[in-house]
Amino acid sequence: MTASTASSDTSAVRAPGPRSIVGRRRLTSRRMVDVVSHGYIWLCLFVFVTPFLALLAYSFTGPGGTYAIENFQYVLGSFGENLWWSLRISGLSIAIDLAIALPAAYAIVRYPVPGKRLIFSVLSLPLYVPGAVIGLSLVITYNFTYHLTTSMWGLVFGMVVGTFPLMLTPIIVALKDLPIAFEEAAECLGASRWTTFWRIVFPLIGPGVSAGLMLAFIIVFNEYLVTLFVHPSEITTAPLRIFNLVRTAGLLPTTAALAVTMQLISFASVLLFFRVFGTRYFKGTYLI
Amino acid sequence: MATPLTVPLPQLQRDTRGRERRARLVPLALLGPAIAVTLLFLYYPLVFIVRMSFTLADTFLRPTGAVTTISNYVAMADRYLPNLLVTLQLASLATIVDLVFGVPFAYVLVRKVRYRNLVRAFMVFPMFGALYIAFGMRFILLPGGPATPLFEALGIPNTSVLYSLPSVVFAMSIFTFPFMVMNVGTALSNVDPTLEEAAACLGARPLQTFRRVLLPLTRAGIVAGALMVFGWSLGTFAEPLLLGSVNEQKTLAWTLYLKGVIQLDYGLSTAMGVVLLILAFGVTYFSLRYSRGALVE
Repeated sequence: MTASTASSDTSAVRAPGPRSIVGRRRLTSRRMVDVVSHGYIWLCLFVFVTPFLALLAYSFTGPGGTYAIENFQYVLGSFGENLWWSLRISGLSIAIDLAIALPAAYAIVRYPVPGKRLIFSVLSLPLYVPGAVIGLSLVITYNFTYHLTTSMWGLVFGMVVGTFPLMLTPIIVALKDLPIAFEEAAECLGASRWTTFWRIVFPLIGPGVSAGLMLAFIIVFNEYLVTLFVHPSEITTAPLRIFNLVRTAGLLPTTAALAVTMQLISFASVLLFFRVFGTRYFKGTYLI
Repeated sequence: MATPLTVPLPQLQRDTRGRERRARLVPLALLGPAIAVTLLFLYYPLVFIVRMSFTLADTFLRPTGAVTTISNYVAMADRYLPNLLVTLQLASLATIVDLVFGVPFAYVLVRKVRYRNLVRAFMVFPMFGALYIAFGMRFILLPGGPATPLFEALGIPNTSVLYSLPSVVFAMSIFTFPFMVMNVGTALSNVDPTLEEAAACLGARPLQTFRRVLLPLTRAGIVAGALMVFGWSLGTFAEPLLLGSVNEQKTLAWTLYLKGVIQLDYGLSTAMGVVLLILAFGVTYFSLRYSRGALVE
């Protein structure tokens, strides 16, 4: 201890100049690393939003490079029906998702089910099946077995199967975080299982449930691939309309306006969720 | 006064026995709807297309019975091998791009960034779908579009950018980037930062620290992330279609749509679907084995 202070003292006395230079250089090199790494993060974030920003800019162009708000009026007018279908399909799908995910998550976490891991894998496998394969298999089965090709429900159940694991995972995480003592206390005080669940457990896992709802909503709302395969001819959701228009009609500012509207609605739901609940309920799902 | 405990003993016993039986049935009833929906709308259709891929073209509905054949797979190997190869090529390139850019991103995000919620908010944009990414990129890369001055400055002929392999790979890697960051970031946040400090104190250079300390500790996460990205990229659909040339548009997902829904060649189309499915499942199986699958236990 004394030796080190002595040596640093002598060095300070002998050569104050070089030492301070070394100190400053080290500081600047560390700062350089910081600047570069944060710059890298911002560059990546910029790349993430670039397609959106480009569409946003494009959606405001009119004939002859004018500033056109009419494109967005067009979204509500001509594309209104597609938006309405998207919202209806999303609403129905996430309602069914919730209705089947909630009991399943409760059973997986709170009951000693044999083969729990296997059941969870079986239930969450749909996430990893390519959308085109889900679409193809569904359209063929709907044709030959279920006869659902002309019904909205075929589309809805296709969406449910694809997004149901996204709903299941956050609910499982939330339930695992919830100490069982609350439920035991409620039961000791005479509440039935049913009352305990709806009055105690459900409010406490609310954030997890909302995380699942939000994830499933975003995915269903923007889904075009499975929809392309299984949609009945009279139902065209907004993402599917965008896909068809980009493929057949080329680039149009009105299509860009619809895409921007879709992304803004999705982003608003994400931001709303982040404001209310924070981000920790996304653990184990898409966002770290 | 409160009611005294008047429960007779035998009734209590009967009650508990009934309770036990119910306790075994309740979880099954709770899991029932989820399992039923998954079986009906995922597993049964998948089994259906596997069966269909082994039947001769239009004998499936014949009353005399379907003719079992492997001719669909033979035809695929004969004529559609390039489609499979393009799919694999695009997925591997996207995975490599994600690895190169995603690992440093995850490192900085976990170790240095305090504004993580902001980063999360930005990172949801790719999640809205490959369709919007491909659409936006198509507008950006159009000759005369916003990126034209950039390409002119770099000396790249502007007409060769859109409808090319690199732009497809770029769009695909943007779409799957968050998956990579999620896996690697989770693995990295489990590594104690003091280990890096110790390595630095012992005289290791940053690259050495990465190779000898960080890489062995996060290998599982990196491999899981790469496999997951690869598996997701196999099913790529909108990016090659909107940004690729004729060669990239041969990806399996798009070809099976053309064969199955437009030309109604179910045998060939389901054979492609099965190949895609097997590839994706294999990759995912290893990915999940490598990642922390400890959610349920």
